[in-house]
Amino acid sequence: MSFLQATLIGIVSAVSYLEGGWLGECKFREPVVTGALVGLILGKPEQGLIIGAQLQLIFMGAASIGPTAGLSVGPGGTIGAAIALATNSGIEVAMTFAVPVSVMLQFMQTIIDTLYSPMMHRVDRLIDEGNKEKQIIGIHYLNLIITIVVYWLITFVALYAGNEIIAKVVDSIPAWVINGLNAVAKVLPAMGFALLLNLLMDKDIVPYLIMGFALSSWMGLSMIAVATIALAVALVMYQIKSKDLELERRSFSDYEEEL
Amino acid sequence: MENRDIKNLPKNEFNSIFWRSFALLGSFNYERMEGLGFLYAVMPSLKRIWGDDEEGYKAAMHRHIAAFNMTVAPSPFVMGLTVAMEEQAKEDKDFDVESINAVKVSLMGPLSGIGDTFFWGIFKVIATSLGVSFAMKGSFLGPIILLVSYNLPNFLTRYFGLKLGYSQGTTLMSNLQESGKMEVFTYCAGIIGMASIGAMVAQWVGIVTPLEFEISGSVIVVQDYLNEIVPELLSLTATLAIYNLLRKQMSMGKVIVIVSAVAFVLGILGIIA
Repeated sequence: MSFLQATLIGIVSAVSYLEGGWLGECKFREPVVTGALVGLILGKPEQGLIIGAQLQLIFMGAASIGPTAGLSVGPGGTIGAAIALATNSGIEVAMTFAVPVSVMLQFMQTIIDTLYSPMMHRVDRLIDEGNKEKQIIGIHYLNLIITIVVYWLITFVALYAGNEIIAKVVDSIPAWVINGLNAVAKVLPAMGFALLLNLLMDKDIVPYLIMGFALSSWMGLSMIAVATIALAVALVMYQIKSKDLELERRSFSDYEEEL
Repeated sequence: MENRDIKNLPKNEFNSIFWRSFALLGSFNYERMEGLGFLYAVMPSLKRIWGDDEEGYKAAMHRHIAAFNMTVAPSPFVMGLTVAMEEQAKEDKDFDVESINAVKVSLMGPLSGIGDTFFWGIFKVIATSLGVSFAMKGSFLGPIILLVSYNLPNFLTRYFGLKLGYSQGTTLMSNLQESGKMEVFTYCAGIIGMASIGAMVAQWVGIVTPLEFEISGSVIVVQDYLNEIVPELLSLTATLAIYNLLRKQMSMGKVIVIVSAVAFVLGILGIIA
């Protein structure tokens, strides 16, 4: 990997992290997006898209909800895709680097988030001093600068300096380990979907899970087709439920009148 | 609280809150969480409202660096509501300023609940699933569709949230919760989310078994039999099994380790691939 390529991928990695804090969680972090960019930078756009899509499935359920530490999907996915493309390997190698890296980086971020707490007391003092708006905003933006430098540096060093070591490690993985890793790469998306189920699960909507599975597994319908059918069903259910609400309210006001 | 006309909020201030809301999580920390991000977003409004009252201005700044944490997309609703309440606090000397933070805190839970369901559970799922289906074929439509389909609701929620928060604020929230409309809306969005998850399990997990048995000379390929009963049965089974682990309140880290270890061993043994 050239100096320029490692620099550019470092920028992708940094932006994919600061997306959450500074770009309104616009989903730049998703591996489909970072994989495509890494592919372009390394001159393998098509492989980049495919590795990105496969990593996306592995990270499908990763959500950073509330202050609970999730996975650092952006930089992890970027680094994983870059290593797989640079060593001409598949999803099992991308995953082997992406998942541990995203766990470690999230841990590091927890430390940064803890260390930033005392800065808030500085803001308190600046408010009391008065006319210090610029400095207060500066403390907000300092976090942006730290984020860019830290994530760019980690990615750049790992890819540029670690280039040869990584290539050797990848080459030395024995075939039976590859079999095991392949199975893990197949099962982790199931874990992602299980996490999503956990987020949305409500007994009342289980039938639609069955519907989506059946339409796709027996009838082979595409994602867009299933989503469109589900949209139609949802609109029908919305009308039915809204009517129910209306009836409930009416019978309630009738009841009140009787009283 | 009375309703306000959105025309009272200067256009440049509206834009400034809208764009600054994207940096809400920018200086996240465990003590105040999104506090500084929130202050950053409403600071120009506080300056306009309290500019001629130094003590009032400082007090308002302190109010909005307090701990604040919620899903980011609906946050402009709270920002708009906050600005409206600060305006009232300036106009009306009897206004209870404590109520401003009380309202903010009371909105964090419900709005995050709705926000997480929609943005993490539904919009993200639909956007990434569409993105994956194009990217798998090597098409750049993948990332483009992912970003566009997620950010459409992301931007609209922020824009109209800010508008509604400022103009109707508390009235709207209590109406929505009392009428039960929000529940119906969440339920119906859940339908699309669940159906998408079902379809994705069928299309993209792809766990198969390479197991074969030889019985009196004929080879029995286990996967062929499974396909005849339910295609993608193993993928569905794995998903539901892991969902059961997650429901046992096990930490995510633990589940990842268990799932990876089991899959790794099954892979080496040639039971799944």
